[in-house]
Amino acid sequence: MSALVTVRDLRVSFRLGRERILEAVRGVHFTVREDATLALVGESGSGKTVSAMSILRLLPENAVVHPASRVEYAGENLLSAPAPRLRALRGREISAVFQEPMSSLNPVLTVGEQVAEVLRLHRRMSARAALERAAELLAEVGIPEPRARLRSYPHELSGGQQQRVMIAMAIANEPKLLIADEPTTALDVTVQRQVLELIARLRERHRMSVLFISHDLGLVGEIADDVVVMRDGVVRESGPVARIFHAPQDAYTKALLACRPRLEARPRRLPVIDDFMRGRTPPAAPLERPPAGAPVMQAKQLRKEFRLRTGLFASKALVAVSDVSFDVARGRTVGLVGESGSGKTTVALLALRLLDPSAGEARLDGADLARLTPGRMLPFRRRIQIVFQNPYASLNPRRTIGRTLVEPMRIHSLGASESERYERARRLLERVGLPADAMQRYPHEFSGGQRQRIAIARALAVEPEVLVCDEPVSALDVSVQATVLNLLLDLQESLGLAYLFISHDLAVVKYMSDEVLVMRAGEVVERGTPEAIFASPQHEYTRKLIAAIPRGYSKSGSEP
Amino acid sequence: MAAVLDIVPENAWLALWRRLQQDRIGAFSLGIVIVYLVMILFAMAGLLAGGWSEEIGVPYANPSFLGERPNLEAALAQRAAQRQGRVPDLTAVDPLAPKYAEWEKRTAELKTGERERSLTLRWGGDRWGRDVLAKAIKGSQVSIAVGVFAALCATFIGTLLGALGGFYGRWVNDSLEWVYNVFTSIPSILLVFSLAAVLRSGVLAHLFASGIWTVVIILAVTGWTGMYRLVRAEYMKHRSREYVLAAQAIGASAASRMFVHILPNVSHVVLVQLSLLVVAFIKVEVILSFLGLGVPVDMVSWGTMLGEAQTELVIGKWWQLAAATVFMAIFLTAFSMLTDSLRDALDPKLR
Amino acid sequence: MIPTLAGVILLIFFLFKFFGGDPAQILAGQVASQEQIDAIRQQLGLDRPWYVQLGIFVRDIFSFDFGKSWMTREQVSEIFVTRLPATLTITLPILILEVALAIPVAMLVAYHRGTLLDRLVIAICVAAMSISFLVYIIVGQYVFGFELGWFPVQGWSDSFWRNLVTYAPLPILLAALVGLAPQTRLYRSFFLDETKSDYVRTARAKGLSDAAILRRHVLPNAMVPVLTNVALLLPGVFVGSFLLEIFFSIPGLGREVYIAVNRSDYPVIQAFTVYLAVLTMLINLGADVLYRLVDPRIQLT
Repeated sequence: MSALVTVRDLRVSFRLGRERILEAVRGVHFTVREDATLALVGESGSGKTVSAMSILRLLPENAVVHPASRVEYAGENLLSAPAPRLRALRGREISAVFQEPMSSLNPVLTVGEQVAEVLRLHRRMSARAALERAAELLAEVGIPEPRARLRSYPHELSGGQQQRVMIAMAIANEPKLLIADEPTTALDVTVQRQVLELIARLRERHRMSVLFISHDLGLVGEIADDVVVMRDGVVRESGPVARIFHAPQDAYTKALLACRPRLEARPRRLPVIDDFMRGRTPPAAPLERPPAGAPVMQAKQLRKEFRLRTGLFASKALVAVSDVSFDVARGRTVGLVGESGSGKTTVALLALRLLDPSAGEARLDGADLARLTPGRMLPFRRRIQIVFQNPYASLNPRRTIGRTLVEPMRIHSLGASESERYERARRLLERVGLPADAMQRYPHEFSGGQRQRIAIARALAVEPEVLVCDEPVSALDVSVQATVLNLLLDLQESLGLAYLFISHDLAVVKYMSDEVLVMRAGEVVERGTPEAIFASPQHEYTRKLIAAIPRGYSKSGSEP
Repeated sequence: MAAVLDIVPENAWLALWRRLQQDRIGAFSLGIVIVYLVMILFAMAGLLAGGWSEEIGVPYANPSFLGERPNLEAALAQRAAQRQGRVPDLTAVDPLAPKYAEWEKRTAELKTGERERSLTLRWGGDRWGRDVLAKAIKGSQVSIAVGVFAALCATFIGTLLGALGGFYGRWVNDSLEWVYNVFTSIPSILLVFSLAAVLRSGVLAHLFASGIWTVVIILAVTGWTGMYRLVRAEYMKHRSREYVLAAQAIGASAASRMFVHILPNVSHVVLVQLSLLVVAFIKVEVILSFLGLGVPVDMVSWGTMLGEAQTELVIGKWWQLAAATVFMAIFLTAFSMLTDSLRDALDPKLR
Repeated sequence: MIPTLAGVILLIFFLFKFFGGDPAQILAGQVASQEQIDAIRQQLGLDRPWYVQLGIFVRDIFSFDFGKSWMTREQVSEIFVTRLPATLTITLPILILEVALAIPVAMLVAYHRGTLLDRLVIAICVAAMSISFLVYIIVGQYVFGFELGWFPVQGWSDSFWRNLVTYAPLPILLAALVGLAPQTRLYRSFFLDETKSDYVRTARAKGLSDAAILRRHVLPNAMVPVLTNVALLLPGVFVGSFLLEIFFSIPGLGREVYIAVNRSDYPVIQAFTVYLAVLTMLINLGADVLYRLVDPRIQLT
């Protein structure tokens, strides 16, 4: 098969202010073959999106492309093509789908208008004919009642349907290349799979090429023919998917493949990227669970309703959580898994009484937190702490790490003096693997993984017994996730902490937990040991979740 | 891709300073604003324009740069002044005659020796021969002080109420929203007029008979709503942010979360809005003083100067109008540019 | 709307009741005898308890009978109705001109964002906004009315068309040109905010030209904040032109309120305030309906 697009020595930098320049992409080469899928894989900051968007020159205004860079398409260098030529190609021969379908669609135009626009623009179709064709396209991408949907506005569709509309727009003119920039990342896991399969099916049918950008190597393994692994603006490794998965050459690729928790094994610690980069062998011993202690935290038939005001006096109840019960024992982990809107974060907030339950009890050491006055609540606050999903939002950006760590100790009068508290804070930082000079620095000076360690240190500052982890690794890069999970396991072992571990990621929950609760629409649909749930899922929804887990590349698995 | 923050990181003030140094327009504007502030400090200390109310020139004295051109009005006014000496003597029939003597004596005490009035002044003179330049400097002090104090008061009210409404929600928010709706459904100029009417002739009139506080109160009471709305929206956004929930989880009190944790993170919004209010309030003060509803008659502001300028322009005396306009335009332009730079420097979306 | 109206009534009532001083004193003047003052108090019902007075105040509002002006003895409702047309004759054209001119200019500079043209227009806008409206009126009236004689310096007639053609153009043009600067700046920022959206990137990926993106995608979205802004300006059509009315001797509402303030003519101020607040609320209700037209995401409840 011959090359469709060849990117040669691509260098892109961003002007940040008068003097500062950020080199995002530093000499990238890759080739998209005709009638094939090329996956660009990398973590945040790897330059994968910038590289792909350079093909269509859809870069932010402050981007500068090095003059020696070339993007060859049908013998033409697109980087030096005049604007009208580029516009003629965009949406007709090369089209794109983006990560956030909601914001990528124009909110005030109907779906029909937006799909028809690209047809009228490039094919000079009449308005009627274009709408007619738009309905066919919507049908092709699997939107039910396509004719009625033409008049819908984007906000009236679900996230998955919005992304299908984006795809319909992208394939409308039978392009030769579809650039898909993390098209499934913003979607729920079960929807992800459907959209992924749709793209694969359309590629096959229209014999086009797909440039698929993703942070998830496992996902990529299922649909790509060729893989390019990027890191820090350079290509680490590229080749056919089989070779990348079975015989990776680069240490970074090896690390990416290894540090995701696997469903079939439960090692004592997850391999981390450093092991590979430094050529160490990752530990292989199986995980040993600490003996279970007495239950410290109990949830009994927790229920939470939110009142939505619909008029001056009228309101309607929205049940976010209903009838959720569990016990967490000292030294043990209860995992809560579910998609967005399943109510799992609400459970976390109820457990700490950051929200008041509508019914049911959240007990800590026998005391029902919801019945405590604020004054009597304070000592209990010390005993249960939380680590949030987004380490960028969970640390106060205006405070030094030192102040952030000392404040909880001061509130609970831990430590005899201020200097003793600072000393304890330093020890905490050491405990979570950060240098002591972090004390005087501010959150924005740290990476996501480091911030999550700081958030964990803050939670530990008051020596809690229970730690609620609400998606603690979901916002982190794959290679960092493993290090944070390992840290949580270390802490549990040495401090005997009880964890309530919440995630949408079934593989992570399975690795961490002793008991798993599967939640959907505010209810627990299935519970049991992780092994039992994975071996024989009882509920239809659990089966769907398990099926949606990316399985990487296997010889028969490249086509679903 | 680098993660986009939508919170201004700490050291924002340091970063702001660095950015302002890079931003030439911003730095230049800052320079002008500082010059004005120094000028105001000098004027307040009496080192500058202390004698703005002294009649040191002939009425409508020409600006020096125009030279001693024929000045009909000045001549007329001088002649009228001389004629006053030859008023027919009515002492016998005038019941107020004894008072005249008393008044004249007092006037004489005040004017310790009639000074030689100059024919030209640096930037011309007004109807009474007062120095327009001195008036403009003193007027800057008054107008800017009104704008700044009123903006500070409005910011205090708006931020406090916005913080309470946004943080607590529920009935606190509902009742504050009600107050907000009441204040905004009255056209602001009518609220200003109503307050002016009440403060001028009502029971509080004697409290505010002099000084700038009447205007400051009028502006603050009518102008807090925008700040309230902005701060409330910010607090609603921040109260469920994870760093605030984390603070609650470690046991931080509501007041601590509101003012120690959240406030520094919304302070950039408050600061930009505060600067916008200063500009807006100065403009309103000028109009109110022009209409006679602003600063009292014994003070001078850009507005009172414009009030005199209207009649002067008809007889061709444009310099007071020009002085007030130029002083005001330069300050407001510089201040607005500075606000723009500030907004750009603090806007997390633009970094 | 009803709680808001109640709030407005209470605010105005208590503002004048508790801070407004003794109306009888104001009415009677400095040299009145105690008997005169007492007579006036009785006549105005001021000797009754405050809640009775509040009741009278509320009754007056709903019966559209605010009694007479203290100074001119004219019916307040009569004053309101007769002064309204003159005000609207100049404010509505001003608003329409401002918005109609600001949108294309803002689009133009947003299209050329970052260029010299853009920066020049914005600098002119900022500088123009820094000069008091008073200066524009004073100088405009002097130059175009007094010196050049293109327009009458001031005046008003009974004929709508004569007013619109002869007396209104100068104040309308002055105000519209002054209003253009802030509107342009504001609308430009609305357009620029929208051009940063993801859907603009989608439109570029479709192959649309920048001009087409601005017209077909950005403009409809930017109309939402533009409309919000117009809704905010709309209540200003009733008294917003008081400066023009004072300068050009136009017998409108704004000038009437200003005269009333100078004479401490409380019934006029109170009645105008309450009625204009009601009009403002009605306009806001109307604006909510309009939002539905430009933004499909807003559901009418």
